[in-house]
Amino acid sequence: MNVLLAPGADLLVLAFATLVGLYMAANIGANDLANAMGTSVGSGALTMKQAVVASMIFNLAGATLAGGHVTNTIRKGMIDPSLLAGTPENLLLGMFAALLAAGVWVQVATHLGLPVSTTHSIVGAVVGFGVIAVGFGAVSWGKVVAVALSWVVSPLAGGIIGGGIYYLIQKKILSTDYPYRAAQKYAPWLLSVVFCVIILSVIFKGLKNLHLNLGIGKALLIALPVALALGFAGKLILSRFGREGCRWIRGDEEEKVECLFAYLQIMTACYVAFAHGANDVANAVGPLAAIYSVVKTKTVAMQVEVPVWMLAFGGIAVGGGLLAFGSRVMQTIGRKITEITPVRGFSAEFGAATTILICSRLGLPISTTHVLVGSVVGVGVMRGMGVLDLRVIRNIVSSWFITLPFTIVLSMAFYKLFVTFLI
Amino acid sequence: MRSVFMSLFYKSPFDSLKGHADKVTECARMFSKAVSCHLDGKCEDFDNLTDEVARLESEADAIKRNIRGHMPRGILMPVDKFQFFMYLREQDRVVDGVEEALYWLSYRPEGIEKDIGEDLKFLVEKVVPAIEMLSPLVELATSFFKARFKEERVEIKSLIRDIRQQEHEADHLERELIHKIFTTIKDPLQVFFLIRLVETIGSIADHAQNASDMMRAMVAE
Repeated sequence: MNVLLAPGADLLVLAFATLVGLYMAANIGANDLANAMGTSVGSGALTMKQAVVASMIFNLAGATLAGGHVTNTIRKGMIDPSLLAGTPENLLLGMFAALLAAGVWVQVATHLGLPVSTTHSIVGAVVGFGVIAVGFGAVSWGKVVAVALSWVVSPLAGGIIGGGIYYLIQKKILSTDYPYRAAQKYAPWLLSVVFCVIILSVIFKGLKNLHLNLGIGKALLIALPVALALGFAGKLILSRFGREGCRWIRGDEEEKVECLFAYLQIMTACYVAFAHGANDVANAVGPLAAIYSVVKTKTVAMQVEVPVWMLAFGGIAVGGGLLAFGSRVMQTIGRKITEITPVRGFSAEFGAATTILICSRLGLPISTTHVLVGSVVGVGVMRGMGVLDLRVIRNIVSSWFITLPFTIVLSMAFYKLFVTFLI
Repeated sequence: MRSVFMSLFYKSPFDSLKGHADKVTECARMFSKAVSCHLDGKCEDFDNLTDEVARLESEADAIKRNIRGHMPRGILMPVDKFQFFMYLREQDRVVDGVEEALYWLSYRPEGIEKDIGEDLKFLVEKVVPAIEMLSPLVELATSFFKARFKEERVEIKSLIRDIRQQEHEADHLERELIHKIFTTIKDPLQVFFLIRLVETIGSIADHAQNASDMMRAMVAE
């Protein structure tokens, strides 16, 4: 048996693994979550402090309630783990290398201000170690191609849905004679749709833990009435407090509409944080769980349990990362992008949220970050955003392309290094 | 730490356009002051006012160049970029027109016949409000392009109508004045001077109207 798997080494290995997982999680928070919440700060729907607190809470809730409690040993099944059955220590070191490589890349990207996909980073890193540890043929390249598809699918879907939502709001509410009256009329329905998206996501993601495998029909049967009821509740609240406009703002017609959308935007922003917790915290915690399982059982399993405490730990670490490194990004976003109004911000965020739900249900590989960038541009194309610098898209997209090769090579290097010195 | 996500949002040229429009408004006030000062005779401030307009013109020009110089390809605007530049050009020509009119006026320091002078003042009074409406027009448009509320669009259209009306009246006055100049003044040099002056002042209103026409195209549905 390898020295790494010797009984005395357990604690040390786990301590190191936790440290590296923490590093990755903090970087995820700084990069991903900051951009996701940035539009709410930009539109003034949330203050900086509120945004940080809300995203920490909802991210943590998403991670613990809807995060994957069972995950593939190798993220997204890029490699068949049974090929490593004879050498669990290789899997252990590989996961170390993958976490470290992905963490480094996300940190570099954050430093350069590039919104990259943390999922793609970890997938690339896992593929990198897999190529060295098992061989080129062991990697399911078909799945890698599917990941690459996300570069096209995510921004496109986000753009179409986000732009479409903005177009509808513009036609049905903003460009009418009495926009606030129209907003009051449509807001309960919008609220219902938002709740419907949130509830469906929770059913599909969260109830997996309860092993209820609901089809779309049954899920809709639950989600629709609840969403409609909540929308109706919203209507009651609106008619109770909203007659004079938003409760706190008694400005002109337009200010009242924007204020109303600010509330809707806060909801979608919280949902994006929730979805982030459910999907992306696993990028740090998944490999950690794999290491944990190898240390515990000294064997390689197809799937590993992810304990709730570990998900919570990941959620907190991601929130901490946002607080420590992402707050400056958000602050600058909030101060500089005055072009984001609540209506635009809502369209972009709700577009992103809907896209995430639909695409992940259809099994299309998507990334939260890519979708959000796409839907901001989509709203812009509908002449909804102020002035967009489309040249920046080139930088963003090229950072998406670089993610896979960079993390593959880096994780190969780390793995080689670890194997040379530790085995 | 920078955020590329943030740099996706380009600085809005409408803020600079408002700055340009403010220069135009300031110019209009100087213009009306300078003209009445000159026509009243014994004017000591005229040169100062002309210098002030020249300074404003060069400042407006700098803003215009700055806007044009920072609108590379690949910038997605809520309005047609071509229309935006056309608007800017016409708004800039308003300032140029004011400057030209004042320079032309300065070539004849001895003053203008009282009767024609009063008519000229009246013409300027028609032209200046049209110019002064450009600044609120830009301000409204900036707000309109943020959320596209219908109400603001209606206000913009009504402002554009007002500008057109002012220009129309100025046009009418211009024709009457030219007719009067030809019939009452016998000195050819004086006729040439006055005709050119009236035409220059009239063209200022034309450019203000052209600018507002472009704005109408930008807010078209």
